[in-house]
Amino acid sequence: MEILFNIFVQPFIEMFTAPDLLIQVLWEGFVSGTLYALIALGFVLIFKASGVFNFAQGIMVVFGALSLVGLYSLGVPAYVALALCILIMFLLAATVERFVMRPLVNQEPIILFMATIGLTFFLIGFGEFVFGGEPKLMITEELGLPTGSYDIEAFGGLIILQQIDISAALIAGAMVAALAVFFNKTRIGRALRAVADDHQAAMSVGITLQQIWVIVWFAAGIVALATGIMWGARSDVSFALQIIALKALPVLILGGLTSIPGAIVGGLIIGLSEKMLEFYWGPMLGGSIESWVPYFVALIFLWFMPQGLFGERIIERV
Amino acid sequence: MTTEAVTSAEAEFRETTSDADAAASAVAARPIAADREIVLAVDSVSLSFGGVKAIRNVSFDIRKGEVRAIIGPNGAGKTSMLNVINGFYHPQIGTITYHGKTRKQMRPYLAASQGIARTFQNVALFKGMSALDNIMSGRALKMKRGLLWQMLRFGPALREEIRHREVVEQIIGFLEIEHIRKTPVGRLPYGLQKRVELGRALAMEPELLLLDEPMAGMNLEEKEDMSRFVIDVNDHFGTTIALIEHDMGVVMDLSDRVVVLDHGELIADGTPSEVQANQSVIDAYLGVAH
Repeated sequence: MEILFNIFVQPFIEMFTAPDLLIQVLWEGFVSGTLYALIALGFVLIFKASGVFNFAQGIMVVFGALSLVGLYSLGVPAYVALALCILIMFLLAATVERFVMRPLVNQEPIILFMATIGLTFFLIGFGEFVFGGEPKLMITEELGLPTGSYDIEAFGGLIILQQIDISAALIAGAMVAALAVFFNKTRIGRALRAVADDHQAAMSVGITLQQIWVIVWFAAGIVALATGIMWGARSDVSFALQIIALKALPVLILGGLTSIPGAIVGGLIIGLSEKMLEFYWGPMLGGSIESWVPYFVALIFLWFMPQGLFGERIIERV
Repeated sequence: MTTEAVTSAEAEFRETTSDADAAASAVAARPIAADREIVLAVDSVSLSFGGVKAIRNVSFDIRKGEVRAIIGPNGAGKTSMLNVINGFYHPQIGTITYHGKTRKQMRPYLAASQGIARTFQNVALFKGMSALDNIMSGRALKMKRGLLWQMLRFGPALREEIRHREVVEQIIGFLEIEHIRKTPVGRLPYGLQKRVELGRALAMEPELLLLDEPMAGMNLEEKEDMSRFVIDVNDHFGTTIALIEHDMGVVMDLSDRVVVLDHGELIADGTPSEVQANQSVIDAYLGVAH
């Protein structure tokens, strides 16, 4: 009886009696959610254009953030370092296309997946060699990102909105929106979807696969860099950051691997449910359920919607 | 097969084809193409995959403004020939001359950018996209605004998008597919998918259009529609067309000249009536009595 009370009644009483806490939790969930959406988007871009599940997306987040911090510590001004990082992400995209994708064109997806695992470990080794393994601080203030917080008195309590969280949500939202428009409404976006659907037909209208691959890996690199900056500012910049990329997996299961709106909604669902479950139901299970509960939520979704919320229905005329 | 059976089948073959030919010449005597400028020439091309010889020493040309049919029994190397022309396959021996330049091999990008468009035997559309977007993708090479403008999507990039959309709307009108403009092509019936695919090729404003079995799997009415589109494209836009087709009636109706392949070899090349009178063509289609 007491268990049922703890599950079905107690949390809702808490929500009702302390609405300020509820809003705080929802806000935290929302911010995490937008960042998860951004990471998931990196996966979706590459998967849509090349059918490759890019295991290296997580390490690209770390690599982008480390390059930024590393360049700054060498005395490069913050904004110049940011521009150089964008260039580095482009070079990474071109290198991956030339030395990983191109030799493996027309191979099975699993082989390309293995290649991205190889790429992950290469980047880990290379990153540690160049930047060292110890955690670093993100150059938040130098980049002009606000670090203070807004304390709002409302609902009989205090709601604290970190300014970095607000900017993270805004930047993530803007990037997601820009990418969605770009890939749905422009020539290059159409070319990208064309490549995703049928390589040969795409080539027959004059689309070059190599160019499209460089563009999507570059776009995924920019997304990774932005994620690295935002997440790095909330904690610190270390190789442990790549773990958060794994949080994108339940997001992708929810949203479907091929859907940009799916990545957004999936990210928000995972972010919100993770924080809500952690705060209200976590103590009952001994706390720290945040690390596994998203996978559990995704598993339950899988039972009912194996293609994800927005995954492409497979239409086959027989 | 007995000699008797062959003779009667042969008579039937001649009958169906000559009927169609008579009908075609009654409608409009198609101009003789033999003295026109050569658009594309294939010279002594051989292509093999491992030990399998798909094409053996084939030479022929395609002249400006003609409809050139490539026919032959299954496995004759017809589709391989189209793949060589637009650069999907690279022949081991021989050359391809297009736009006055002789090459050992084409590349798909080069073929597309120099005006060779094509359709595929098994419709190769972008299934998740609408009919409109599929056809728009045929404009990929005509749109010039760079990545940055595309990202911003205003000013020049937006104007460009609108201008190309107008061209595409004309093609949609021409192919009479206004009603399915926004439908994802995966949901369309086969005949309409083939039409969208033709639309995508037309959006490239090609000089040479390669059609791989444009009427395969269609019913009579759909075939007639498609034949009409092919003739209209050829007449109105002056587009040179090379098509692979199995329906002899259609081939005799539409084409100015016919290439016949069998087991990768060229066995006949001439006008439809010449080809249909050719003994080795009849043998290839019906089998030879031993």
